[in-house]
Amino acid sequence: MKALLISDQEYQTKTYQVLNDLTSTFLKQKGFETEMLELGAENLTFCKGCFGCWIKKPGECVINDQMTQINRSYMNSDLVVYLSPIIFGQFSPNIKNTMDRRIPNILPFFETRPDGSTMHPPRYDTYPQQIIIGYGDMVSEEDKQLFIDVTKKHRTNIEVLIYQEAAENIIEETLDKIELGRVGGMI
Amino acid sequence: MKNVVLVSASPKINEQSVSQQFLQMAGSKIDTTEFNKTFIDVRKSMTTHNLSEDFETLSKADAIIISFPLYVFCMPGILTRFLVDYYNYFTESGNARNNVKVYAIVNCGFPEPEINLEAVRVIKSFSQHINAAFRFGVLIGGGPMMFAAKDAPFMKKAVQKLSDAFLSIVADINNENFTEMASIKIGVNFPFSRRLYFFMGNRGWISMARKNGLQKKDLYKKPYRLNP
Repeated sequence: MKALLISDQEYQTKTYQVLNDLTSTFLKQKGFETEMLELGAENLTFCKGCFGCWIKKPGECVINDQMTQINRSYMNSDLVVYLSPIIFGQFSPNIKNTMDRRIPNILPFFETRPDGSTMHPPRYDTYPQQIIIGYGDMVSEEDKQLFIDVTKKHRTNIEVLIYQEAAENIIEETLDKIELGRVGGMI
Repeated sequence: MKNVVLVSASPKINEQSVSQQFLQMAGSKIDTTEFNKTFIDVRKSMTTHNLSEDFETLSKADAIIISFPLYVFCMPGILTRFLVDYYNYFTESGNARNNVKVYAIVNCGFPEPEINLEAVRVIKSFSQHINAAFRFGVLIGGGPMMFAAKDAPFMKKAVQKLSDAFLSIVADINNENFTEMASIKIGVNFPFSRRLYFFMGNRGWISMARKNGLQKKDLYKKPYRLNP
């Protein structure tokens, strides 16, 4: 089983170090071969909204940088864990960049979800299970709720945890309850 | 005279974006005899390394209007970077005004405007972090199609709603009220069904791909998965 652990070089706080250690130890105990990616601003450029990944080179980002390898690793993992600082109730700029530039992995078309909202259909039959772990030392309750809503409200097959210093055992306890393997197509 | 700064945050390069067009529409409601009006383009600001100058402009604003497209259910990474860098500038310089009002205009390709709500809440959180007052958002569904068909008779009602929403921003800037207001949602109100909206949108993607020499089946390629 392969796992990809994505984190942000810019926010390597004490909380981050603890969280990174706990998560990687947990994955090792569960038998995952884990690839660790610490992203910096210089590694990735921004999505430019060109839709080349849908209408020029379908399924591939047309920007030639590290994101090609990240997308390949992402699509060939069983589990992807993001360690993201909570910034204004959402992801940090580097983590948000990887999310924006994952759109080659879905199709451009419109479809209706079972709840009646619109979505882009999946390109692949299965995807890695995603776990987003948000952290920060001074995060308001409002921003924590927003982080959960940003992550889960419009997606299925994704788990979100908020980590703060006082709750070290949350990682093992919570991750233990999640089925850690590839999941069906709807995202 | 109050300073109004209008921030366009589409990541697109060398083409006019829908977000920018909505922002220009909002900007056209602002009377320059009453307000100083300045436009900032986030992508240009970042690529030309004009950040310090633009941050100084922002720090002198009485009102900030931020227009952007929804990217993966939230704001684009480029705008996230811009706002984080501005927040750092703000905290380091201590160089900001009191009682600044912030507005968000968010558009998406999906027909339902509600999908933009979390992105608007992020702008609210940003406002709180810079001690500004978030006022309200204008949430626009079906943005690209709305703009492309803005002159069609069936679009009259939606265009009127947009115009009213942007006039509400201008009226609010002049108002002394600082209690947060409810966001304004403007969806696609086409005289045809959602199914037809999807059909037209989906056909548009195939047609664009064909112009690039692709066939319909090519759109379904799976290049990244080694063992499908």
